[in-house]
Amino acid sequence: MIDGVTPAEWEAVRLSLRVATTATLVSLPLGVVVAYALARWRFPGRELLNIAVHLPLIMPPVVTGYLLLLAFGTQGPIGGLLDRAFGVTFAFRWTGAALASGVMAFPFLVRAVRLSIEAVDPKLEQAAATLGAARPWVFLTVTLPLIVPGVIAGTVLAFAKGMGEFGATITFVSNIPGQTQTIPLAIDLALETPGGAARAARLAVFSIILAALALALSEWVSRRVAARVGGRDA
Amino acid sequence: MLEVTLKQELPGFTLDVSFEVPTGLTVLFGRSGAGKTSIVNAVAGLSRPQAGRIVADGRVLLDTDAGTCLPPHRRRIGYIFQEGRLFPHMTVRRNLAYGARFAPRDAPREDMGRVVEMLAIGDLLDRRPGALSGGEKQRVAIGRALLAAPRLILADEPLAALDEERKGEILPYFERLRDEVQVPILYVSHAASEVGRLATSVVALADGKVLRQGSAAEVLGDPAVLPAGAREAGAILAARVVRHHADGLTELEAGGVPLFLPRIGRASGAPVRLRIAAHDVILSRDLPRGLSALNILPGTVAALRPGAGPGVMVAVDTPAGRVLARITERSARALDLAEGAALHAIVKTVSVAPGDVGGSGAAA
Amino acid sequence: MTPAALSGAAAIALSLAAPAAAEEITVFAASSLTNAMTEIEAGFEAATGHAVTVAFAGSSALARQIRQGAPADVFISANPDWMDAVAADGLLAPGTRVDLLSNALVLIAAKADAAPVEFGPDMDLSALLGNGRLAMALVEAVPAGTYGKAALTSLDQWEAVAPKVAQAKNVRAALALVALGEAPYGIVYATDARAEGAVSVVGHFPADSHPPITYPAAALARSESSLTGDFLAYLRGPAARALFEAEGFTALASADD
Repeated sequence: MIDGVTPAEWEAVRLSLRVATTATLVSLPLGVVVAYALARWRFPGRELLNIAVHLPLIMPPVVTGYLLLLAFGTQGPIGGLLDRAFGVTFAFRWTGAALASGVMAFPFLVRAVRLSIEAVDPKLEQAAATLGAARPWVFLTVTLPLIVPGVIAGTVLAFAKGMGEFGATITFVSNIPGQTQTIPLAIDLALETPGGAARAARLAVFSIILAALALALSEWVSRRVAARVGGRDA
Repeated sequence: MLEVTLKQELPGFTLDVSFEVPTGLTVLFGRSGAGKTSIVNAVAGLSRPQAGRIVADGRVLLDTDAGTCLPPHRRRIGYIFQEGRLFPHMTVRRNLAYGARFAPRDAPREDMGRVVEMLAIGDLLDRRPGALSGGEKQRVAIGRALLAAPRLILADEPLAALDEERKGEILPYFERLRDEVQVPILYVSHAASEVGRLATSVVALADGKVLRQGSAAEVLGDPAVLPAGAREAGAILAARVVRHHADGLTELEAGGVPLFLPRIGRASGAPVRLRIAAHDVILSRDLPRGLSALNILPGTVAALRPGAGPGVMVAVDTPAGRVLARITERSARALDLAEGAALHAIVKTVSVAPGDVGGSGAAA
Repeated sequence: MTPAALSGAAAIALSLAAPAAAEEITVFAASSLTNAMTEIEAGFEAATGHAVTVAFAGSSALARQIRQGAPADVFISANPDWMDAVAADGLLAPGTRVDLLSNALVLIAAKADAAPVEFGPDMDLSALLGNGRLAMALVEAVPAGTYGKAALTSLDQWEAVAPKVAQAKNVRAALALVALGEAPYGIVYATDARAEGAVSVVGHFPADSHPPITYPAAALARSESSLTGDFLAYLRGPAARALFEAEGFTALASADD
């Protein structure tokens, strides 16, 4: 089967990894901050933020893709600004595919991290404050280490979702081999092309293998971290 | 020195207190639900009362009129929680060292080695909290609060989560904390025995108000002040070990009066304090003869306070110190007790539990 | 009365006599037919009282779904290849296939005042695009894309232009990209360009630069609707032809064929 893999297919695999990894790494810090804000702070507009974060989960992916096109395309308000100010473009580029993946995966990341933050006993954070730690220190030294298993779970979930993103990606940045043709887009194209069934099958197998590897890795890391964090002598 | 003034509406009653905490160990003494934890949380900065002013060593921590409210991490108040609250993802050593990093450079610091030795936690340093017993956790919690170089230590019923045996284990460590460390301690408790062992001063609280504040001997010897109820009442005597007898008794001396207790493990000449529970004291007008009780203290009636039921609390001034006795009204009338009456207070040797005998620390 | 009007009247009479017997028909149509078919659908429903459901997508997607068992009654494809693929699986109702329409391919631009493009030997589409993208439907699958690629190849433009192509899922999506201004140029059907006000046509691909664009229509063998014959006839009838031609299609089949 490996011999039958064409350069275009390898390209799709590499691109998928690049897109999903970028999307996950960039959305990780933002996701943790948003999760913390939703879990621990009270502020006006908190419910609105919660809804906004979950929108990509419930809106049809094509709609999300279309909104991204309107906002981040070269003609869009944010896209145009970024292009003029920093030379950063999303339209028809892998960065746009990464943005689409990141946006679609964001709710999964925030949910997982938020759940693990809520599981941290606020009394521990109180104790840290009485010992002289200001809020950022409390977060770094107490909360963060305790939520690492949850963050790992959320990251893997986000990565997997990013690898599998289709509707928003094709609507936002279309299908461009080498730039936006990730594995799902390549599979879709293969299915529509006469005689492309074998290609679609090969790409699907890649998809499954990568997802399984990511899951296995996260399980292993999670177990090791959970033991340390649970207070047992590791 | 800590000055606290607070007003707060709580479910069921209004908290309205004003008191001072001198050096030594001050117990905030009262029934459960009297508002003690609310006070301590306000002092720590974990909650903000409706109105109040808290000043520690001249530093204003809270002044609702002026709008000042320092966040907890700026108050430098070490807090020993009931549940310990050790960080599960850190070793004991790292837990202990946690607060030291945040203390200001010029703050007087305790030496880690000394604290570890004082609390006997040297063997635990590389363990994690999940592997410690309740008593071990509390000792580490004490060390952690101390090593953060606080200007005041708060302890919110730190022994409440432990069983009797563990309590007995940990109490001496609090005694050491009181005796060997200069930082004042505000200790919340509803247990008279803890008060008896540890307090150098007491703030008695009932229904959100301060009943009386002062030295432990004063407050606990006041028959009108029974914050934990009549059953828990008992005065404190300061005594000195004279010698240990071969038949298992220790002879002590307080104000010239000899006292006998079951063998206590302290050296000859060592100062001790004892708590005599009021319901263990029998009163007699005449010097009794042929009585099994070995402790007979002559004295005069200082005050009488009838209780809600058939009992009356009698305060007796003896050369050994103030003693409280709880007897029936009927007996008080039969003995014709009134202020100034001369009588004897009798205490059975065995009725003083080992837990009620502690190292000294000035009680008066 | 013409046979169409007669059957129409009969249908109305039948539907009035037995309102619970209203039939349904599901049509899979290429996305370039969106505007026209929407009006035709309304017309058929008004004329016969029967419910029509039309699903639009790229012909490749529709063909795939039909071959996998989608419950369509009628299929209108934007090229004969996809209809052949469905026929090869034996899924067409025999004798119902008919070439319905023809279309033309145009080059569109996002700007209203864009200069017309000469389709001569000096044509350099790649230079015209610069850093911009050429929006097309999937060039290996969707008819509008395959016709476009064929046309560009025969004009010797494909090699240079290929890296700059942004492939959309269907021709309407490609149209939208140009309408939004995201892609400066695109290749769509003449009918699509007409339907979208925000783009301007800057060139017509010569008819001999690509295989003839033919839209076959056919009923599907597994259909359980009794309306397929009527609907296909309606598509060839005067009302439908007028609507198709208003959009810019060329009607190939007439009701009398």
